[in-house]
Amino acid sequence: MKARVKRWLEEGIVDLFLGYKMVMGHPLPYSFTKADLDAVDEMVDGPARYSLEKVATHIAQAKPEIKIGMLARDCNQRALNVLTIWNQLKPAQVQTVTVNCCPSNLKDHGDCSYLDPERPGPVKQATGIDNTLRPEDLEQMAAPERFSRWMAEFQKCIKCYGCRNICPVCFCKECSLEHGDLIGRGSLPPEVPIFHLVRATHMAGRCIDCGLCEDACPVDIPLRLLYRKVNEIVKTVFDYETGSSADQSPFSMIGDKVTLTPKPMEAAKLAN
Amino acid sequence: MQCKFVPSVCSYCGTGCGVLFEVIDGNIVSTLPMKTHPVNQGKLCIKGWNLHEHVNSELRLKQPLVKTFGRFIKAGWDEAIQVAADRFREIVDRHGPDSVGVLVSAKVTNEENYLAQKFARAVLGTNNVDHCARL
Repeated sequence: MKARVKRWLEEGIVDLFLGYKMVMGHPLPYSFTKADLDAVDEMVDGPARYSLEKVATHIAQAKPEIKIGMLARDCNQRALNVLTIWNQLKPAQVQTVTVNCCPSNLKDHGDCSYLDPERPGPVKQATGIDNTLRPEDLEQMAAPERFSRWMAEFQKCIKCYGCRNICPVCFCKECSLEHGDLIGRGSLPPEVPIFHLVRATHMAGRCIDCGLCEDACPVDIPLRLLYRKVNEIVKTVFDYETGSSADQSPFSMIGDKVTLTPKPMEAAKLAN
Repeated sequence: MQCKFVPSVCSYCGTGCGVLFEVIDGNIVSTLPMKTHPVNQGKLCIKGWNLHEHVNSELRLKQPLVKTFGRFIKAGWDEAIQVAADRFREIVDRHGPDSVGVLVSAKVTNEENYLAQKFARAVLGTNNVDHCARL
């Protein structure tokens, strides 16, 4: 991996390479360059995850001609696909070196902060929602109970906007979450559940299930579970797996020829 | 093209969350929570997330302003310090040193904060010193 990064920098295949390096005992993102090739020897690939693709979009905005190399786990790769669909990055701008991440049936070892999810404490068990549940597990619960549990989770929100700020696929200059006509200003917790549901609807066809939002949430709201449900609907209605490819998404039709075939409305009814 | 990640500590309150500044070509473009920091463990509040905005803010003071007849007028340092010193002297002489207080800031260095409290205690003669980070 290190040899490949060095070669890419030396040969000018990339101008800079975004990876990780231990700085003062912390694995921090680091931009490796040709001027300091020796630093590549100190590159590490875990255990902390940062949204390197978001940094790449910032670099591309400042200098579009820069060729960026990037260490990519599966979630980074999915985020890059979505960012390409939404015209934030061009495929030619980014080269990736794939690294190990979530374990699956095909590989038993992974390096990801999600390997050991935290178990919920007694209060969360009694009134909230276990973050490790899957949408289908949650649907076993009666609707009123589910509602009250979700509301209990949403009401903890301290409106830090961390879920949006850390999200690799959130790039809008103007955000609906800060729009006074959509969500009332100046109150804490924010207007629930509308604050979280506005964000959830915007995650349809965008969320790549990286879990960084949940990682960054100071009050442990099961955001990943919420967005999984939203994307499950996208899958049922459009048969679209978000982030699986950089081809056109059913949610981004502007400017390109539409090649998607609409699915029968029965599927949409099923999803509801 | 230079891209740097600078670890730091949030200066808004006394908690001490670890933050990471994303610096592109000398401009701080974003603040990130430090994932492995023992204090905040990858989380931040709204103030921490927006640390870079006060650095880049257009509203920052760039030179001393003296309030004259209700309006802020640009002034030199000597003039501004003289005006402040004269007014302090006037108030302390008339109402005693405990009529003034000094509020220091998390946005300046530890040493500057030390000097400010020394100024309050040794020069003005009051213990009325406080700090925004004393949450």
